[in-house]
Amino acid sequence: MLNTKRFAAILFTLLFLASSASAQSVPAVVRAAQAKQVKLYGAGGFQGLEAYQSGFLISDEGHILTVYSYVLDSNYITATLDDGSKYEAKLLGADPKLEVAVLKIDLKGNPVSFYDLSKAVTGTAGQRVLAHSNLYGVAVGDEPVSVQRGVISSVSNLEARRGVYDTMYNGPVYVLDAMTNNPGAAGGALTNWRGELLGMLGKELRNSRNNLWLNYAFPIAQLNDAIERIKAGKAPPVGNDLAAPKLKNPLTLKALGIVLVPNVLERTPPFIDEVRPNTPAAKAGLKPDDLVLFVDDQLVQSCQAFTKLLERIELDTPIKIIVMRENNRQQELLEVPLQVAPAP
Amino acid sequence: MRNPLAVFFACLSCFISLVLPTLAQDIDPYERAIVAATERVAPSLVRIETLGGLDKVGAVLIGTGPTTGMAVGKNGLIISSAFNFAQKPAQILVYLNDGSRHPAKLIATDHNQKLVLLKIETTTELPVPEAAPMKEVKVGQTVIALGRAFDADKPNLSAGIVSAVGRIWGKAVQTDAKISPNNYGGPLIDLQGRVVGILTPLSPQAAGDDAGVEWYDSGIGFAVPLTAINRVLPRLEKGEDLYSGLLGISLKKGDVYVEPATLGAIATNSPASKAEWKVGDTIIKINDIPIARQNQLKHAMGPLFAGDTVHVTLKRGSGIIESDVPLVSKITAYQHPFLGIIPAREPEGQKSSGLGLHGIYPNSPAAKAGLRLSDRIIGAGDKLIADRADLQEHLHTLAPNQELVLKIQRDGKTETVTLKLAKLPEALAPDLPPRDVFPGPTEGEKPATGLVTIKIPEVKNECVVFVPETYQANMPHGLVIWLPAPGMVKDADLEKTWKELAVTHGLLVVMPKSADPTKWEKSELEFITKAANDVIGKYNIDRARIATIGQDGGGNMAWLLAFQQRDLVRGVAAINALVPTGTKPPATDPLRRLYVLQASPVKGPAAIKFNELTKTLRELFYPVLAIDLGEAPRGLNEAEFGQLARWVDSLDAL
Repeated sequence: MLNTKRFAAILFTLLFLASSASAQSVPAVVRAAQAKQVKLYGAGGFQGLEAYQSGFLISDEGHILTVYSYVLDSNYITATLDDGSKYEAKLLGADPKLEVAVLKIDLKGNPVSFYDLSKAVTGTAGQRVLAHSNLYGVAVGDEPVSVQRGVISSVSNLEARRGVYDTMYNGPVYVLDAMTNNPGAAGGALTNWRGELLGMLGKELRNSRNNLWLNYAFPIAQLNDAIERIKAGKAPPVGNDLAAPKLKNPLTLKALGIVLVPNVLERTPPFIDEVRPNTPAAKAGLKPDDLVLFVDDQLVQSCQAFTKLLERIELDTPIKIIVMRENNRQQELLEVPLQVAPAP
Repeated sequence: MRNPLAVFFACLSCFISLVLPTLAQDIDPYERAIVAATERVAPSLVRIETLGGLDKVGAVLIGTGPTTGMAVGKNGLIISSAFNFAQKPAQILVYLNDGSRHPAKLIATDHNQKLVLLKIETTTELPVPEAAPMKEVKVGQTVIALGRAFDADKPNLSAGIVSAVGRIWGKAVQTDAKISPNNYGGPLIDLQGRVVGILTPLSPQAAGDDAGVEWYDSGIGFAVPLTAINRVLPRLEKGEDLYSGLLGISLKKGDVYVEPATLGAIATNSPASKAEWKVGDTIIKINDIPIARQNQLKHAMGPLFAGDTVHVTLKRGSGIIESDVPLVSKITAYQHPFLGIIPAREPEGQKSSGLGLHGIYPNSPAAKAGLRLSDRIIGAGDKLIADRADLQEHLHTLAPNQELVLKIQRDGKTETVTLKLAKLPEALAPDLPPRDVFPGPTEGEKPATGLVTIKIPEVKNECVVFVPETYQANMPHGLVIWLPAPGMVKDADLEKTWKELAVTHGLLVVMPKSADPTKWEKSELEFITKAANDVIGKYNIDRARIATIGQDGGGNMAWLLAFQQRDLVRGVAAINALVPTGTKPPATDPLRRLYVLQASPVKGPAAIKFNELTKTLRELFYPVLAIDLGEAPRGLNEAEFGQLARWVDSLDAL
């Protein structure tokens, strides 16, 4: 039989355990994160290019994770740790596609705090986050780096469509609702409110579709392979499609039998002007005045975009286009499969 | 339950079920609330793609990226920000939460709240979210801004608090969440998942399509309350475009934060004139909102639409007048009448009774009635005239073709002259008598002349003013706000171009410079205004003869300055410059006359847009003088600058 006193005591202990498990004060979390942060100095300092960026320690052997940029394009890179100690940093390697780099400093046995990448966590939209970086190079010497707070706005692919951002990475990023990606901030750490590592802040980036600056961080999970390869001294995998080779025999409007309206404006919508007889387009029932909206579920917003997209498809690949047709003032969407007959 | 152990386990299981999920999901209550609220509204959020349309609206390059909208009617009604459609797209596509795609039609635009209503044909009912009552929206409460610009299947969100309510003349809720094209058209929601308002760029000063976008992601964002949208939804659904509600009045000039709302002029055929309001009446109440100062009237009128009826309380003398007035969207444009005189420019303290004449336009009503330069006007209608302001005030109540009886003093006798008013001339003033020269003051400091540098505190822009040697502190002078083409701004040129003209026509020329020598930013209008006011404060400037003259990019700024600073600018001259897209010329104002001079090509393909602008301005009853630059845009020659200066010199003609 349990008496009420013992029951209360047990309940109290449980409550205490539960609350202490989740509640670490924000100042303590921030302080612990700042201790892992590194201020990096290298090339630049002219034409509006800052000669500094951020990074953070990822091992007790002195490995530092940061972004690959012109700042590292120097024979002499300085890393200033949280306690103000200065080290010469060596560039171990970089992944040009992810634009991630690993540096190494010789700690000479000095103990440091660092992020254990195997304990990195993933975040979802709506989570509160802290961004730790030396934005604008505000902190110098033993001054702790700056911390900003915000929430994850969305977890989205950086490049839903080609040409949106001037970057080669097209995987998921944490989009943030705080002004985190400023000069010098790239390479900073993104953590949750418990101080667990979520990602690394990327370089400044402007969205070419709506001309907005984007604030974002790479999830650590996306960087792990590259980091391991660099640490192991392996070259980045070859054959990543940095510049997709031009197709020898691409699909063309002519082959499909489609003539678009004259492309007079940058944004002329891809209306069909004419369908040539006895062509795939004619057989599929396309008609003049149909407006081409999608090619294989990708929105084409102009004549130009339509032609460009076809250039990346092999001539005899079957495609599916969606057109809008107006019938008696009613607009309807029609799905039309198209294929140029393979050469015999 | 008797058994304490059972009680304990019951408690424990409750407890575990409460605590464990929190630990497992690694999410705190604040985050959980944000996610839950977002999920509640997400099904009503739609993603919008557009095809075709303009590349630029005003100075802003319009992206082609996806934008956001929200369901407001089960039958396929979707509200969005007008900004997302400023480029006038050829086709609109809506993606619903279930991934289905629908062609959409823009059925109405709310020009007052900067929103549009779209309609899609759908057989399934759209989920319409609940609106948060405005009285429950408190400054400081947590709110979340939602968009669908990144992913089609998940909303993007930004969290913040309500910064203010009743902003933008009573129209909007302000928030510090990050508001940008990434969520314009999406909702601002509270933690219960109720919609506070729809996000859209707004600006307290400007009204163009792109106004307020410059504040994107700055911590200043606006949402139009959903309750206010629901109030006008039935009208929008019928396809009715909505406009701000107008009374048809101009208030007495003065500081809007100090002066009472006293009527200075009333437009003919307007709600105010139909209600038989009179100049001098003071508005003291609008729909039970007390109005002590002019800005309060603007606040009370902000959320009202054309078609609404307002209850207005007026004070006339010691009496009170109550009237119910239906608001309209358009006031019949006011056309300024023309008498054909240039009032005398006399030094202060040397005025005799009545208004003297400096010049009379040939073939004008004044000339036809036989007015002479030696006459003095002492009365108009039944009003006594002591100076120019008195005559101006009387003319504001009249229109072209109306009759005017003037009382004049001639050779020591009082005579009456009846004349028929004309329209303002659209040709240059004839050669007028040379500038009157009066003996200057003998004592006091002589102000600086030549090229004088002006420093405006807190801005990095530079500014220089040219003051002619002949400047006399006791005589009012004309002022030119000169905005040369970017890249052509040189102090030496300022002096070379204007030196002789400034002497001949009694002008000062101030040249504010853009911070970036290659272009002007809209935000620099404030600096230009400050620079002009600085000159007005230091020198004797006639407020009736202030003109802004600009070329190319400087001309764009001249238009904006003239349309925004209506108390300051009396003439705008644009050399090869159009009104920036997204900016609409305001209606003419009886108390704030604006003369236009356009120097641009009038023939050939380059002329089409300039001629269109001339036509638009004339339809709005602005007097437009044209200087023909041939077929291609070019700078002005010496003779043409001479015409400009003469035009400035005649801006005080009545």
